[in-house]
Amino acid sequence: MHAAESDLEEYLSGSLKPAALAKIEAHLKACDTCRQEVEGMREISLCLATLRTEESPEPAPGFYARVMDRVGRQTAALTFSSLFNWQFAFARRVAFAALVTFAILGSYLIIHENASPSGFSPEAVMAQQELPAFESGPAPDNMLVTLTVYEQH
Amino acid sequence: MGTLTGALPLPAFGTKVAAKSRVDYQNTPEGALVQRAQAGDESAFREIVERYQSKVFSIIHGIVRQRNDVEDIAQQVFAKVYSSLKSFDFRSSLITWIYKITVNECFDYLRKRKVRRLVYESDLSEDEVRRVENTEPATDRQAPVDSSLAQRDYVLKLLTRVSEEERMLLILKEVEGFSVEELAEKTGMNENTVKVKLFRARQKLVKAAQRLDRTPGLVPG
Repeated sequence: MHAAESDLEEYLSGSLKPAALAKIEAHLKACDTCRQEVEGMREISLCLATLRTEESPEPAPGFYARVMDRVGRQTAALTFSSLFNWQFAFARRVAFAALVTFAILGSYLIIHENASPSGFSPEAVMAQQELPAFESGPAPDNMLVTLTVYEQH
Repeated sequence: MGTLTGALPLPAFGTKVAAKSRVDYQNTPEGALVQRAQAGDESAFREIVERYQSKVFSIIHGIVRQRNDVEDIAQQVFAKVYSSLKSFDFRSSLITWIYKITVNECFDYLRKRKVRRLVYESDLSEDEVRRVENTEPATDRQAPVDSSLAQRDYVLKLLTRVSEEERMLLILKEVEGFSVEELAEKTGMNENTVKVKLFRARQKLVKAAQRLDRTPGLVPG
């Protein structure tokens, strides 16, 4: 059985009480896995220590103003791009709504046209009219009546 | 575990402690300062910048070491603090939160700098460079002269293999020198959680180190 993770962490930190320290050290002597793991962790701790810095540059005067300049630029860029996104989203919604409207209207027209009596075709209207005899009114007048009847339908 | 606490988990306990510490922090002078800044008080935000700018510079310099770029990254850090401040929920202290943003910005910078350098040095596009980076063994073929620089580069490479939270905990512990108790207070986690997270983060680093193709002598042991 290996040592508890929290105990090993305290061991690495050097904060174990003497009794617990002795117990862990005894375990590490006997357990190759834990010992190698702890050795690897110590090596990495040494590498992490290289990230410490004694001297670091201080902010130059006007640092706060430059931060707020950057905030202003980033906010402006964000507002512009979000506006574009909003308009694009709106345009998509309008296009979708138009498509749906046309689909519904088109379906209505098709259904309505199929359901109407065939008598509304020009041939049917003309067939309903009496054919002008040669001796009756002039053919153009009869044709006009026929066309009018068709248009009324 | 032989204790009763170990046998009978109390799920609400941790939540109550975290909630209490959140309320405590909100009632501190710094908590009040943050709330003012969240409400849009620019003088409060200015105070936050002036309070922590030196610390942020120090953290960045420790990781990046390019003096010319330190201020640029620091500006980006505080710009991000400004835009995200409303989402700060007082679970951790402000400096811990700023620290996390700072470390993440540093690693973003290092990643971009590496890709930019490879794009400049080769004729490859950025996408091609990224593909090459992912397939090549991640070692430096040319050994740096300074061994501490080599160790630094090596550990920075390893730190990209852990999560943001783990990276922050490790740096706070090993670089900044905070104790587990202090980390628990700053992050709002309980001490045992901090210890376990730290230990598991170290395990990941060890595994990452084993997977890397380490050239003998690159990291003096």
